[in-house]
Amino acid sequence: MSELELRQTTVEASADHLPARPRGRMPRIGTLLSGAFVLFLLAASIAPALIATQDPNQIAAADAFQPPSIAHWFGTDESGRDLYSRVVAGTGTSLLIGVTATAIGLALGLVLGVLASFGGRVVDFGVNRLVEVLFAFPGLLLALLVIVVYGPGPVTATIAVGLSTAPGYARIIRGQLVSIRSSQYVEAARVLGRAPGRILAQHVLPNALIPLFVLATLGIGQAIVWAAALSYLGLGAQPPAAEWGAMLAAGRTYLATAWWMTVFPGLMIVGTTIATTVLGRAMTRRGRSGR
Amino acid sequence: MRAAPVTTSSTTRRFGAIGVALVATVTLAGCQAPAPEASGDPVQGGTLSYASGDAEPTCLDPHVGGNYPQALLAGQFLESLVSRDETGEIIPWLAESWTASDDGLAWEFTLRDDVAFTDGAPLDAEAVKVNVEHLKDPATQSSTGYLALGKVDRVEVVDEQVARFVLSSPDSALLESLTQPWTAIESPAGLARGMDENCQAPIGTGPFIVDEWVKQDHVSLVRNDDYASAPADAAHEGPAYLEAIDWRFVPDAASRYAALQAGQVDVIDNPQPDTISTAESNDSLVWLDAPRPGAANRIELNSGQAPFDDERVREAFIRAVEVDEGIESLFFGTAERSYSPLSSVESVAYSDEALFEPDLDRANALLDEAGWSERDADGYRVRDGARLTLRFPVSTNQSIPAEQSLFEQVQATAKAAGFDVVIELLDLSSWYGALAAHEYEIVSAPYTKVGPDVLRILYHSDSITPAPSGYFANLSQLNDPEVDALLSDAAATSDPEARAASYEKAQRLILGGYYLLPLYDQQNSFLMSTSVQGARALPTVSTPTFYDAWLAG
Amino acid sequence: MTPGSPADRPSRVNGAALRRTGLLVAGAAFVLWAVASLTFFAIRLIPGDPAQAILGGPGSQASQEALDQVRRDYGLDQPLLVQYLAMLGRLVTGDLGTSYALKLPVADLLGAQLGGTLLLATLALALAWLLALGLAIWSTGRGRVASALGEGIEITSAALPHFWLAAVLIAVFSTGLGWLPPVATGTPSGLVLPVVTLAVPLAGFLAQVMRESLLDTMQQPFVVSARARGESALGVRLRHTIRHAALPAISLSGWALGWLLSGAVVVETIFAMPGLGRTLLQAVTLRDIPVVTGVVLLVALVYVLMTVLTDVVSRIADPRLRQEGAR
Repeated sequence: MSELELRQTTVEASADHLPARPRGRMPRIGTLLSGAFVLFLLAASIAPALIATQDPNQIAAADAFQPPSIAHWFGTDESGRDLYSRVVAGTGTSLLIGVTATAIGLALGLVLGVLASFGGRVVDFGVNRLVEVLFAFPGLLLALLVIVVYGPGPVTATIAVGLSTAPGYARIIRGQLVSIRSSQYVEAARVLGRAPGRILAQHVLPNALIPLFVLATLGIGQAIVWAAALSYLGLGAQPPAAEWGAMLAAGRTYLATAWWMTVFPGLMIVGTTIATTVLGRAMTRRGRSGR
Repeated sequence: MRAAPVTTSSTTRRFGAIGVALVATVTLAGCQAPAPEASGDPVQGGTLSYASGDAEPTCLDPHVGGNYPQALLAGQFLESLVSRDETGEIIPWLAESWTASDDGLAWEFTLRDDVAFTDGAPLDAEAVKVNVEHLKDPATQSSTGYLALGKVDRVEVVDEQVARFVLSSPDSALLESLTQPWTAIESPAGLARGMDENCQAPIGTGPFIVDEWVKQDHVSLVRNDDYASAPADAAHEGPAYLEAIDWRFVPDAASRYAALQAGQVDVIDNPQPDTISTAESNDSLVWLDAPRPGAANRIELNSGQAPFDDERVREAFIRAVEVDEGIESLFFGTAERSYSPLSSVESVAYSDEALFEPDLDRANALLDEAGWSERDADGYRVRDGARLTLRFPVSTNQSIPAEQSLFEQVQATAKAAGFDVVIELLDLSSWYGALAAHEYEIVSAPYTKVGPDVLRILYHSDSITPAPSGYFANLSQLNDPEVDALLSDAAATSDPEARAASYEKAQRLILGGYYLLPLYDQQNSFLMSTSVQGARALPTVSTPTFYDAWLAG
Repeated sequence: MTPGSPADRPSRVNGAALRRTGLLVAGAAFVLWAVASLTFFAIRLIPGDPAQAILGGPGSQASQEALDQVRRDYGLDQPLLVQYLAMLGRLVTGDLGTSYALKLPVADLLGAQLGGTLLLATLALALAWLLALGLAIWSTGRGRVASALGEGIEITSAALPHFWLAAVLIAVFSTGLGWLPPVATGTPSGLVLPVVTLAVPLAGFLAQVMRESLLDTMQQPFVVSARARGESALGVRLRHTIRHAALPAISLSGWALGWLLSGAVVVETIFAMPGLGRTLLQAVTLRDIPVVTGVVLLVALVYVLMTVLTDVVSRIADPRLRQEGAR
């Protein structure tokens, strides 16, 4: 048995029915904590007023730049607004940006990817070129153009970030699909006379979607970070909206004197990314072992 | 808008000594350089590194367009006919003396005869004529300089060293206009190269010469070893002490300050207010505070359309908004609240604090009276189903973070009276677009000009008419014949007292009509390492000059 | 050691390779054309008059005569289609036009900026690859603690906004320790912080992807058999698994490039470096259409070249794709 054959067999083995592997499992406690954090985020998005301690837009210039204390858990910003309340108030906007942008990117990517890998040579060529055109357009430029044309704000930022991530997802999805399609177990299914649609649904998509899921969970954090970059350039959420990226960008100015202004919104972004990723992994494992 | 016709018919007419309105005494090196006080003996040589946070100019010739970033750089290699000293007095520079005719329609400038451009050509009356024609030529695309010389019809060459400015109407602001870098005198041969080439390295008479401009990176300036035209208030004569200046473009404020702290650069501009207050307590850094002349930073209320066409609503807004505490905390005590339309640099600036006393009850009463008596579920006032919304376009290219935070506080405090202030952060082009389309109720726009004549540009009804680009300077849309008459009179009179009186009356009317909310002087700060000695800001448009500067130790 | 050595390949491969090359060139031309067209029409959507942009930018006092003159000179009074064809005609001859704001040939302007950005992006990509590989190999299959730690580092790195990371790096290494300059002035030491700023979030992302395929690969029999043949754990990791772990990351490199260029806009601004990102930002702000088009085309060109490169590398590393190409 040559190494090549060996490997193709193993591709089938690993991809079709993944054995219970001693993977670097996150401790269950991590999953639980992540779940709790995501629940908190959801609650903060749905009913921020219940969780916040103050009006997030309440100005008190005399209380500006207060470090964290009992009265202000996360301190106050340059206008004396309560940072904890602003972080809570910003959850909805930030999550919406992250989730919607990722969803836009993934949906477009999936359509393009599936078209490319199953639409035949001509479609594949066409879609690949289209993806390349989108790819060759730097994401931030795309975002800048969308914003300049339609005005700055969270909606345009979301669409812009979603559009600019789509070609990346399309490329990965196509790569996955092509690699799986040419694997032996798909060949085998084809030889056995299974319908292409069934092969796609039963064998190809599930195997392609698992890595995609991991990417998507990372993508949410990424989308929030890109929206933050737009805020740094002054083109993201408009004041006084409490969006994490905008808060991070505003706080960066005072990094030397008021660390809390960047640390807490920053922790929320990182925390959200970690929590969604850990949960995504956990679901992936469950999905694999359940099959 | 056409080039000044070339006429020499009246060149033989001489001015009588009686018709002298202003005769400057030529006192070279008479005044002392202001703070920070230099210590020790000047050291020759060395390269000063300057980090600028202003936008990188697209053209180094300040005749083209004419904005502050160009002025900052041009001050190092170009010079003007006259300058202004600390007290606001006009002092000699390239012109050693000047006279005005009785009717104020002809001004003769006698140029120094020992000055040459760095391309070797002598400074003469013909050069001045060529420069004014260049500024007035539409192909030059001059904006600031063009406006400043709006009343100059042409320049005539009287003799080699005497140039006569012929005016279409008297202009008491002419000398002030001529102090500005936007009307600086360049080498005619340099201008003749055409815009493309001249923009890269204009040729002047200044203490430094443009050596190289690497886009997005830096401009190298080298010493002019033949320099001989220091302004009357300079601390020394002859060439500059510094051998070169490395003028870098560092757009990020935090990076600029870090570079200064790390000793990578010697001077930075546009520091964040919090870093100024930190630097104040730091022995190795010096703060140079040089507020810009002309208008104060202010919020203009667009009286040309609803709801601010009603004076009661304008007053209500001004009474509702609280900015004092915000200015104190956001600017860390580096900015002082203003109650005047003019910069504190201008001696005729008139302040009236009482007009700007916050009074929420009065604001509410005024709004009720004006028909905005109902409030919607969000607490904003409504009238006939329309919300009391104030669109506030803010340019991200012109507004520093502290200022944007202050605008957020304006937004929050105005809400208490029921105003819905909508801040729109826009890039520069979109911002100008919003103004041109009158899509604003309140706006803050800086305007720098030497002298109180800036009032005419900002509040005369002539400035309501937009340029073809859609730009107009009268953003409050103030249209009051009385103000117009006062500003026109002030610009035409040669009597300083009558001028000051007219400007005061005009300012009373402008402030009393609640057309603007003054905030503070246009902030113009520099942080320098203590090794930089003898640097100062020119009292014209407050750009730094490094002619007298040296690097100690 | 490579499975599927050239001898195994079908003989049709040469003809197929020619075909592929033809397709690649045609594809590249198509991408450049489409990008140019897209930019041309997208920019027309931006409110604002190009003639204004030429005449001193926003807020200028340009007269109507001057505006009309400029419209004639630049052909802006022509129908859109004529302008479009004229632009394509110029592009075919390699003429990128003249910057509206700077009045200099766009090719000269960008030529001066390209090197810096490419150097920055290449170094950052290389560093990101090194960091990602190192992290993935170190932390994969080493038990839960290493794995969790590795994942934590990856996720956190990937979630760091450039502008914030840059500020922290400057605070620590410039202001605090005084080791590195905060403003890049063209010296090698000045490049360190910008490169690290760009590389770290990307490394987190790449490591994430690599770990997934590394995990899959390490369970496979050929790895097991290599271990059974007595090769050391590290040897197996280095010799057999990296290639497979790297596969998805290689195909991500094209993406990474666009990602880096977007990041360059922010990083070049913070570290005051000359480059395409800053040029692009300024050009968009000033509505300098020829410069925007030029930057986009240049990036597209670099991207196309990068695609060819990753395609070749992927084929070398993954025989499955090689077979597909030869089919």
